[in-house]
Amino acid sequence: MNNEILEGLRKAIKEYDNEKAENLAKRAVEEKLDPLRVLDAMTVAIREVGDAFGRGDLWLPDLVGAADAMQAAMPIIEEEIKRTGAKRESLGTVVAGTVFGDIHSIGKTMVCTLLTAEGFKVHDLGVNIKAEEFLQAIRNYNADILAMSALMTMTAPEQKKVIEQLKKEGLRDKIKIMVGGGAITEEFAKEIGADGYDPTAPGAVKLARKLIGR
Amino acid sequence: MAKGFMRRFPPLKILTDEQVEAIHRGTLDVLQETGVLVYNEKALSVFKKAGCDVDFETKRVKFPPGLVEECLRKCPSSFRVKARNPKDDLLIGQDNVLFFNFPGTDTVDLDTWEPRPPTKKEHIDLIRVLDALPNVHFLNAYPYFGFSGGIPEVMKEIEGVALRIRNSTKVTIAIANNDIDMFTIRMARAAGSEIFANPNTSSPLTCYTDQVNACFLAAEYDLPSMIWDGATSGGTAPASLAGAVVLSNAELMPYIVLLQLLKPGARVAVANLVLPQNMTNGAPAFGEIGVSLHNVAFNQVWREYGVPTVSSSCGPTSSKRIDFQLGYQKMMPTLLSALSGSSILQLYSSIYGEITAHPIQAILDDDIAGMIGRFLEGLEVSDESLAIDLINEVGPIPGHYLGKKHTRKWWKKEQFVPKAADRLTYPEWVKTGKKSCIDYAKERMEEILSTHKVDPPLTRSQEEEIERILKEAREYYRKKGMITDVEWESYKKIIGG
Ligand code: B12
Repeated sequence: MNNEILEGLRKAIKEYDNEKAENLAKRAVEEKLDPLRVLDAMTVAIREVGDAFGRGDLWLPDLVGAADAMQAAMPIIEEEIKRTGAKRESLGTVVAGTVFGDIHSIGKTMVCTLLTAEGFKVHDLGVNIKAEEFLQAIRNYNADILAMSALMTMTAPEQKKVIEQLKKEGLRDKIKIMVGGGAITEEFAKEIGADGYDPTAPGAVKLARKLIGR
Repeated sequence: MAKGFMRRFPPLKILTDEQVEAIHRGTLDVLQETGVLVYNEKALSVFKKAGCDVDFETKRVKFPPGLVEECLRKCPSSFRVKARNPKDDLLIGQDNVLFFNFPGTDTVDLDTWEPRPPTKKEHIDLIRVLDALPNVHFLNAYPYFGFSGGIPEVMKEIEGVALRIRNSTKVTIAIANNDIDMFTIRMARAAGSEIFANPNTSSPLTCYTDQVNACFLAAEYDLPSMIWDGATSGGTAPASLAGAVVLSNAELMPYIVLLQLLKPGARVAVANLVLPQNMTNGAPAFGEIGVSLHNVAFNQVWREYGVPTVSSSCGPTSSKRIDFQLGYQKMMPTLLSALSGSSILQLYSSIYGEITAHPIQAILDDDIAGMIGRFLEGLEVSDESLAIDLINEVGPIPGHYLGKKHTRKWWKKEQFVPKAADRLTYPEWVKTGKKSCIDYAKERMEEILSTHKVDPPLTRSQEEEIERILKEAREYYRKKGMITDVEWESYKKIIGG
């Protein structure tokens, strides 16, 4: 019975079925399954999808579809984890967004999807995000990582502004910062005092793991 | 008047009348059901007054179909744009077809094909080449995003407009980020030219503050507008191409409505930069066949509306080199767009998708434009061109046509001779050093750069006015904190302040 639910959840994610994933998550709670085991099963499934994407066997819409299905089940399992007081092994909490003045969203969304798939808790703030909004979210969610995207040379300096603001408010040392997007280079990232940069979304995931030492 | 190419035959159609109608109904439906987000208080009020359903809290605007259709009817189906020199005035619409260039953030090294920022000289060289090429009818914003060496980001395009006005008499475009069009519009005006206002949509279904402000500036200064939509189908638009046309049209309409509400009869063209998404890495799939299918359908629908279209997605390619892939990825979408009724084709100078541009490429593109332009003009069928008398006169072998007056007159009319193509026989090719089109393009570039002069150059008082506006812009962004003290120090050295 229990295995049937876990197997079903794995399948739902790999078949991009939001509704099925959500229903099975509810059933898992009803049947009092260990929520950490449920989370594990889902993480395995999403990682398989991520690996297949990495190999070129699956495509971007498949990856995002699977992440969406996982997201549909997630709040239910998280609620259960909280209720039972189990200790969730999240890789870490990420606050992400495209900086103020910049509305390019595609790459940032990819990065968020892959981070979620990897097991990070991601708060995607969207695009056109002001420094204050990043700071507020970092405080609210007690984030471990800040991920900023900028696609235009004109908006790249915003990333610096956010970092300066973090310093001013004494938050800089409490968080790892990674930056990316078409307008960003390794040198620029160093220059503005970010902790890491990567030109690709899969690379962003490896970087995130490295930054928090996991 | 800049001489465009006249399309002398009916445009290619890919949709039935019912399919066009279905796309139109779908667009109105989305605008009424879901509407768009408009982050611009002034515009929200204008929409409210015109009878839209406006939620000032969530910024959502829903449009009554009647209003959209009424505003579409107010758009002129053709219009003129005034340049500094009347030889560069533009006629947009009426089956006239014009070309212009693509932006690049970088130039490329022609040996390694790696991108790098252009120097100031390279930036100016590209402007001068574009000014010299007769089939570049006007200039896009940029062509590069500034040049290397110490210009603060926010000033790059403003300085770029100054460079374009100084080195070209062609009309250009005022991009709308960070209010820089407040300055660039006045710079064009100081030089006696109009400039296109340039509102950009944001997919899906969102209109940001500065892009909407561009419409207010267009109305205030009575300027023509070019509204751009750059959704990627599968990412920020439906993967189905018909759905992508519905979405991009629904995104363009709020700007059409706003422009016509602010100034009935306002001159406007819609630019299509919709690209399929590369499902491996999320980048737009430049140069692929979906680009053409979307452009042809888009053109057909907007022809019904009587609004001139710009095919913007046909210029960039996915290739990093000037090679075979680049050639077909440019020619095919540009040709199909031209055949299906685009008024404007954005072709020149781009290599990889808006990232790299080069004057050599612009010169190669000039041959593509020339070929397409020649095709659009079609062929004449008259007593003289049928040449019955001549055929009777020449008769069978040993007769021939080479020495005939008719040949001397007609071959030049009928053939387009590419300027940078290799057209040699093998022996000629070996003897002249086995040159390729790139070698010929280099020669043409050097020739242009050593002889071309901007005509007419700016007068002293125009130059002073432009300097004054530049100064004002520098102060404005310094006050706004968008030019930092550190940036200001290195910037001062370049501007000699
Ligand atoms: C699609 C697109 C648009 C769409 C955006 C739709 C959307 N919802 O995102 C639209 C049409 C709306 C648009 C608008 C504009 N655009 Co635009 N756009 C592009 C285009 C063609 C592709 C960008 C893209 O999606 N790339 C694919 C994604 C997957 O790549 P990516 O975001 O870089 O992400 C990858 C990596 O960088 C990395 N990554 C991303 N984020 C992060 C974060 C972290 C932390 C890490 C580690 C990694 C990482 O992972 C991703 C996957 O591998 C580029 C040109 C190009 N070829 O790149 C121009 C481009 C970025 N745009 C540009 C410009 C100028 C504009 C406009 C100002 C145009 C105008 N005239 O008004 C407006 C901007 C308005 C604004 N205020 O932002 C310029 C910027 C030039 C510059 N140097 O500043 C470019 C380069 C094109 C050009 N040459 O004109 N644009």
